[in-house]
Amino acid sequence: MPVLNSVFRHREFGDHLTSLVEYERAGGYLGLQGTLAMSPDDALYAFHRSGLRGRGGAGFPMGRKASFLPKDTGKPTYIVCNADESEPGTFKDREIIEHNPFQLIEGMTIAGYAVGCERAYIYIRGEYGVQGEVLAAAITEAREAGRLGPDALGPGRPFDITLYRGAGAYICGEETALLESLEGKRGQPRLKPPFPAVAGLYGCPTLINNVETLAALPPIMHRGPDWYAAMGNEKSPGTKLFSVSGHVLKPGNFEIVLGETTLRELIYDLAGGLREGREVKAVWPGGSSVPVIGRESLDVPLDYETLNGVGTFLGSGGCIVMDDSGCIVRASWRLAQFYRHESCGKCTPCREGTGWLAKILGRMVHGEGRGEEDIRMLESLFGRISGRTLCPLADGAVMPVQSALNLFRDEFVRVASEGSPRPEPMMETPVG
Amino acid sequence: MVTLTINGRSVDAPKGTMLVDAAKAAGIEIPIFCYEPRLGPPVGACRMCLVEVEGMRGLQTACSTPVAPDMVVNTDNEVAKDAQDGVLELLLANHPLDCPVCDKGGECPLQDRTFRFGPGETRTLEPKVHFPKPLELSPLVALDRERCIACYRCVRFSQDVAEDAQLTFQERGDHTEIATFSGDPYEGRFTGNTIDLCPVGALTSSPYRFVSRPWDIKNTPSVCAGCSMGCNVEITERDNEVKRVTGRPDPNMAVEEGWICDRGRWGYPALRSADRIDSPVLVDSVGRRKVLLERAVAEAAGVLVNRDARVGILLGDPITVETGFLALELAQRVGAGPAMVARMGIPGTGLGPMRSLPGAQMDDIDQADVVLVIGGDPCTQQPVAELRVRKARRRGARVAVFGPRPSALDDSCEAMRTVPGHLMDAAGAIRDRLDGSQRAVVLWDEADLAAEPDAAALIAGLVQATPGARAIEMCADTSGPGLRALGIGTDADLLAATEAGEIDVIVTIAADPITGPSGDRWAQALVGVGTIVEMASHATAITGHADLVLPLLTPLEEEGVLVSMTGRAQRLRPGAREVPGAAAAWEILIGLTHRLGTPVPDRTPAQAFSRLAREHAPFAGLDYEVLGRDGAVITPPAQHDPDSARRDPQGEGLLVIACTPVFGDATAHRSDALASVVEPTRVGLSPAEADRLGVRTEARVRVATPHGEAVLPLEVDARLHEGAVYLFVGDPAQRAMRLLPLDRGPVRAVVGVAAREEVSA
Amino acid sequence: MTTHELEEFLAPMRHEYADPRSLILPALRYAQGDAGWLDPQAMAAVAEATGFSQAYVESVASFYDRLYLEPVGRRVINVCVTLSCMLRGSDEIFEHLADYLGLDGEGTTDDGMFSLHKVQCIGACDRAPCLQIDAGQQIGPLEPADATCLVDDLREAAAPARYDR
Ligand SMILES: Cc1cc2nc3c(=O)[nH]c(=O)nc-3n(C[C@H](O)[C@H](O)[C@H](O)COP(=O)(O)O)c2cc1C
Ligand code: SF4
Ligand code: FES
Repeated sequence: MPVLNSVFRHREFGDHLTSLVEYERAGGYLGLQGTLAMSPDDALYAFHRSGLRGRGGAGFPMGRKASFLPKDTGKPTYIVCNADESEPGTFKDREIIEHNPFQLIEGMTIAGYAVGCERAYIYIRGEYGVQGEVLAAAITEAREAGRLGPDALGPGRPFDITLYRGAGAYICGEETALLESLEGKRGQPRLKPPFPAVAGLYGCPTLINNVETLAALPPIMHRGPDWYAAMGNEKSPGTKLFSVSGHVLKPGNFEIVLGETTLRELIYDLAGGLREGREVKAVWPGGSSVPVIGRESLDVPLDYETLNGVGTFLGSGGCIVMDDSGCIVRASWRLAQFYRHESCGKCTPCREGTGWLAKILGRMVHGEGRGEEDIRMLESLFGRISGRTLCPLADGAVMPVQSALNLFRDEFVRVASEGSPRPEPMMETPVG
Repeated sequence: MVTLTINGRSVDAPKGTMLVDAAKAAGIEIPIFCYEPRLGPPVGACRMCLVEVEGMRGLQTACSTPVAPDMVVNTDNEVAKDAQDGVLELLLANHPLDCPVCDKGGECPLQDRTFRFGPGETRTLEPKVHFPKPLELSPLVALDRERCIACYRCVRFSQDVAEDAQLTFQERGDHTEIATFSGDPYEGRFTGNTIDLCPVGALTSSPYRFVSRPWDIKNTPSVCAGCSMGCNVEITERDNEVKRVTGRPDPNMAVEEGWICDRGRWGYPALRSADRIDSPVLVDSVGRRKVLLERAVAEAAGVLVNRDARVGILLGDPITVETGFLALELAQRVGAGPAMVARMGIPGTGLGPMRSLPGAQMDDIDQADVVLVIGGDPCTQQPVAELRVRKARRRGARVAVFGPRPSALDDSCEAMRTVPGHLMDAAGAIRDRLDGSQRAVVLWDEADLAAEPDAAALIAGLVQATPGARAIEMCADTSGPGLRALGIGTDADLLAATEAGEIDVIVTIAADPITGPSGDRWAQALVGVGTIVEMASHATAITGHADLVLPLLTPLEEEGVLVSMTGRAQRLRPGAREVPGAAAAWEILIGLTHRLGTPVPDRTPAQAFSRLAREHAPFAGLDYEVLGRDGAVITPPAQHDPDSARRDPQGEGLLVIACTPVFGDATAHRSDALASVVEPTRVGLSPAEADRLGVRTEARVRVATPHGEAVLPLEVDARLHEGAVYLFVGDPAQRAMRLLPLDRGPVRAVVGVAAREEVSA
Repeated sequence: MTTHELEEFLAPMRHEYADPRSLILPALRYAQGDAGWLDPQAMAAVAEATGFSQAYVESVASFYDRLYLEPVGRRVINVCVTLSCMLRGSDEIFEHLADYLGLDGEGTTDDGMFSLHKVQCIGACDRAPCLQIDAGQQIGPLEPADATCLVDDLREAAAPARYDR
């Protein structure tokens, strides 16, 4: 249940570590100190041993990805921190940035040492204006203290971070779209291969990781990879931040040890549970792009493999909860609108398909559905959109809707012929 | 070679080949929209080409998946078919389906693919995304955004091929649209290629809008005669009119790669300009009157047969080699002994060393490690050459441009602006660039180097000394290489003879000597000529003086062979015959030999070509069959001229730099379609020179050379050199060319502010 | 917004990017800071300061939600309408605000004071239903009455010297 040894120092040491002094007092930069005492290869191996997996959504082992970067290419190696956090329901990176920016900076510095990078970038979404200010100030402070700059990794061994601000586009969280955006182009995904590890930013080897992933490195390097790996289970070690929102009384971020906490515990014990008399109807446990699950799956322990076992994903940990007052078709429609708005427009199935889905669902919700015919139409569209595009946005658009239809077919059929009146929203002010 | 299996068949393909191309080579069509290798690496956007590759997760885009040994690919099984079906259905989801009123209807890849690979019916009843009405991207290109399928082709052409950076995508998702900055017109020299590239009816040619339907038209492959590039084109005919010129759908990769310039594309309305000669005209004691062609040819023969007639035949541009050859034949059969045959053009004395260099084709530029452009300006004179040069630069070849003129290539390539008249100064830099190169290609300008034989000799030496280096001559005239290969010289002797009163009859073929270099001298000389027979498609400065005018077909209407600047002999094929009373020059010439009683054996250009190929070594072994689809490279005649003495400019004042943009040529001026992009005749000066004269842009200045003077508008441009006056030759009616010496050699001009009465004149 | 000002803004960061193209987005954000939106002149200045074509710059700008190519109000009120916020009443907040501002859905008030936009998840679902003024702090959870107060306060507040949207 609650984490005793939190990976995120602000959670252990007084919530706000926004000055370098406070951060260092809380054990900051001991991880870097330890890292600099070993060889870059040993540092890479430590990442690997910790079992840390990417926290941006795909869950790819961080150490493995870092080891893909070719060495001695004659080109610079870059690190890019993905702080685009735009997945609906996800706001954990915001917390790290607002409350503990130096841990991210230290984590990037550690990674920089391990992969031989001198310049790193943080790509932060444009909507995070205030959070961007906090990061910018922290970067300046670190630079002034010599923690970044020409001697950041020791005398004559430079490492610096540039903050790059987006301007409002979910797709820029997809790693290759992010690189395009950072290169001053329209943020549209690239054809892969080549993968960013080989040809990323400006065609150079590039390590891209999520904020939470990189911020986990300092404690891992301080307390040792074994400490980290000992938490959780073999395939899902360590802790993970879950953002819980929707129909819960205490929305917020919660750090749990993977595999030890169930979804029910997350919702009821940590996020304050639901309103009197309400029951969980649907949960999107890993952000809006994952298949929705129902009440019958509440007792799964939260880790990557177990969630896959019930047909969904851990994703980014943006857990959206809807109680039995909500309409699943309306919710699906709202998500479909999101994907329609956010499709970059490059691939035909996504550009045209997301809009089509949104239109059909919208009609259904507004009482203009055509019953079973619309259901069949939806079902035939899913396969025409997902699995056929450059990047997984289209899959992400289909999964929540397709799973909702599978799980709540009767409701879909009903709404397709009767429409769905707008329910009373939950207006309670969150507790705490 | 890699061996793989596609649809159960074993297929071999070179390593690196994309699956679409490997399949195509094996006769298996995988539908595509965005894939177009001429635009660069695949983008994988449309998803039309999805296929199943066994063992790979999900479906793969055949346009971006390279072949691999033992790969097993299915393009027509259930999964692949469903994918094609699905993509087409989605493409049509927001498509207006207005095929019956769409210009592309009937020749539309979207329509075709929907028919072949598609769902057959549409299931959408959702409202479609709407854009405001179709709009003019430029006076030449119209855009209907509702039909756009966002295939990226036009945008990639603008960004990555023409590099004009004007066409872009705006917005995102299903609101993505093609646009220019704030709705500015899409300006450029190559904009029409986006129409050819568009796989739907989103981009259409404004002059061609609603003109015809695909089933009413006939398409004929031919060659553009607009400049010496020799781009392959396709001519669309309906009701005996040329309705359209496009890039050839099966491009000649060794020449234009399917790209053509807007001058070549939209020059055809000139066929119907007001000054087109539609009937023979005879002037005699009765007066000036229209006659039938038969009669006119008979009259001409009557003049030529005269035993005392001393005849000169002057060839202009463009002229097919068959016409040149038949003119030589005619010359043997006339009046008082062989006629003098000459072409208007640059003698090129001193170019021997350059012309002896090993020649290159345009596609050799794709392999070059160093590309040098010396003199001239391909961007304005042989526009499509610019695209190859840009491509080389994008590929990482070292590209350098030398010469006195600013060029559109300057921004992206190494540019060395030489002092006017001193291309020689570039020698050091040229040597540096060539040093260590393996496969250099040097493009050099005929006019500029002919004016500086000393530089030509030096530069030729440098190229000669570089292993693997080859050269391409950027020829000033479309017909130059072909007529030169027939041994036809330039017109200095003919002019001298005419001035000396030794010529009784002048026959001009597509020539306008009064408008050309030393035009005033020609005008004077022609006064003493007894009979002027003009063959021309459009009225010229001599039409009013001619005793007999025979209307000619234009290169879009006639048959014959043109030799491009890389020595490639290619066939013109008649796209239409707009003027019933007109004839091809070869027809008239053959007719004349018949009338003179000594007929040539040829009845067709094909026969004339076969015969000339036997008689003229450069064409040895060629006939129409051998020329085939993509033409054949001739062996240029050897040219020995050891004299490389520096030529001193005639006259005094500022050195004249002549600029001859194809967008300013006679056809461009006659074509109403090109009105928005046509280049006017004007004078260019650097700000310093303009200050010295006390004039500003839009002032009119008087330019005087030993050959004549003209009052022309001024354009002050900081990119121009001091110490020179740039003469931009545009509208032929302004006759700016006549200020140059007959051989277009170096000349100086006195530039002054025009007097008030000259301005108002 | 002059090209010169932009160049001065960009000068210290040029060395941070291997390709000057990367300067386009920071330049656009900066250029928007002045008027709160990007008029064609501002985009032309960005094109000149970065060395890319105007069409290209506009193409990049139009991709992003928070770069405005049409005029917007002095302050932009961004109401999140994505799922978590919807479940907690964001539609009601939006409608209430539109009513209060006299707008028929999204748009800009006649006095040019406010633009009201629906936006996608702004990463503050813990504060649902929430909104954001320009790119300021995400504000929530809101009751309809809070939203009106907010607008009233904004009306009083001075416009920022430079906008960050
Ligand atoms: C449409 C889309 C949006 C994404 N958005 C984000 C994001 O906002 N933040 C993030 O870290 N990863 C995001 N990702 C995942 C990234 O592509 C990438 O996998 C991740 O940044 C890698 O970092 P990690 O290995 O540390 O998770 C997104 C992926 C897709 C397909
Ligand atoms: S989208 Fe692809 S997949 Fe398709 S043709 Fe275009 S590039 Fe190929
Ligand atoms: S759904 Fe509104 S802030 Fe996330």
